[in-house]
Amino acid sequence: MNRASSSKSSQHNLIQYSPVLNDLYESEPTLYTVKGMAILDNDGNRILAKYYDKNIFPTAKEQKAFEKNLFNKTHRANAEIIMLDGLTCVYRSNVDLFFYVMGSSHENELILMSVLNCLYDSVSQILRKNVEKRAVLDSLDIVMLAMDEICDGGIILDADATSVVQRVALRTDDIPLGEQTVAQVLQSAKEQLKWSLLK
Amino acid sequence: MNAFKRDKKEEEEGGGNPFQNLEKTTVLQEARTFNDTPVNPRKCAHILTKILYLLNQGEQLGTTEATEAFFAMTKLFQSRDVVLRRLVYLGIKELSSLAEDVIIVTSSLTKDMTGKEDLYRAAAIRALCTITDGGMLAAIERYMKQAIVDRSPAVSSAALVSSLHLTSVSSDIARRWAYEAQEALNSTNVMVQYHALGVLYQARKTDKLAVIKLVAKLMRTSPKSPYAACMLIRMACKLLEDMEEGEDSMLGFIECCLRHKSEMVVYEAAHALVNFGKSGLKEIGSAISVLQLFCGSPKPALRFAAVRTLNKVAMTHPAAVTACNLDLENLITDSNRSIATLAITTLLKTGAESSVDR
Repeated sequence: MNRASSSKSSQHNLIQYSPVLNDLYESEPTLYTVKGMAILDNDGNRILAKYYDKNIFPTAKEQKAFEKNLFNKTHRANAEIIMLDGLTCVYRSNVDLFFYVMGSSHENELILMSVLNCLYDSVSQILRKNVEKRAVLDSLDIVMLAMDEICDGGIILDADATSVVQRVALRTDDIPLGEQTVAQVLQSAKEQLKWSLLK
Repeated sequence: MNAFKRDKKEEEEGGGNPFQNLEKTTVLQEARTFNDTPVNPRKCAHILTKILYLLNQGEQLGTTEATEAFFAMTKLFQSRDVVLRRLVYLGIKELSSLAEDVIIVTSSLTKDMTGKEDLYRAAAIRALCTITDGGMLAAIERYMKQAIVDRSPAVSSAALVSSLHLTSVSSDIARRWAYEAQEALNSTNVMVQYHALGVLYQARKTDKLAVIKLVAKLMRTSPKSPYAACMLIRMACKLLEDMEEGEDSMLGFIECCLRHKSEMVVYEAAHALVNFGKSGLKEIGSAISVLQLFCGSPKPALRFAAVRTLNKVAMTHPAAVTACNLDLENLITDSNRSIATLAITTLLKTGAESSVDR
């Protein structure tokens, strides 16, 4: 019990650093580059969003207020980059989706751009070029996994879309039962039998 | 009435959002399906996705609710479905700060991280490290050191990044694993190299001599990864700021980076050269000519980066920026308003009366 609560507090510290460190950000080299990533729909509503720095927008309410503001400022002009609330935000849109990557205003814009491109290209490859809200919602689980592979707690984990997709495009059972190979059917039958025996 | 309107809109969009109007309590009820054996991977993955979606939308879960969901989720370790397992890892990470007794999954995760499936191992390491506390650290230390030097880049990166996160649990973790990180630094994978450099810097940043040695060694081999190169430029800058006399080799290295094949690195170097007080006029000059080139780039982000940096230099070296006045004037009508604004304010600092008419 005790240990769990201590792990709880440490978890809280994970993506958090003191405001003092934040001021030193420009001079202290760090891998913590990304402040947030978001995918919004064409009404500015959140489809998926992650924030990695507890000091900016600590609660969902502030995050969503920021997203609304960001959307209002960006949905008409396809201008790729904007400064908002002290953050550098790079963005890209397609049909009814908006992709954003946020970083500190001291951050190298081109690094943020490479993360955005990776996010967009990964989603595009996962959805087989069909980058639309409906398609994202249909493959929401895989898109979530992809976002998790691109950035871990603010550190860029991978910025190469092909390798991100390789790590998450795991679904092999898209084929309905009638068209599965004999080996696949046998495998799943074996699984079922094993579990019924173990019960 | 409102519901009717919404239905109509959904119809227009061709089928509604399957995740709209989800009820927290209903979804948590559904999570009881996780206890069924055998596990139905499809169905459970869908329910788990709904839970993750709700959490992502900012839905608050009480400790009891979170703990119940977490324990139900642990039952899914029975299934060998890859997508489901990966979603469970995500769920563990999301719920680890809300639920109690999350260390219950330690052995399952340790098993996955040392198993054969690479797709499990990397993700399992990252999930494991979010539930690790000071007491558990010793138990996983051996596995973590092995993972850092693993031949799979995904596994190695996951372990390196996690060890940076673990700094908040134990501040000397990077130093304890520095030997392995040093080995990972030689990796041919660009991301592993970058993450290893981050861990090594974390391990040595209090020891200036050690940082100098690290930077000097890397400068000779020049990292392949553009991300690592950017990090190295920042490290060199930090050292130069603290040094009594300017170290020529480091300044030379940064200047050399102006000819790197990755724009990211070129910009980082130019930004570094103009931003700290010790570079001479020659270095500032070559940095500014690079930024001038970027001003004409078709990519808005690159133009933005260039003009923002020029704007800053104009405060300290207005004369040096005058060379870019023509390019800056072209940017006044840029379709991106931030770029236009930055161009105007820069010109106000550098422009002469003669250019006002144009």
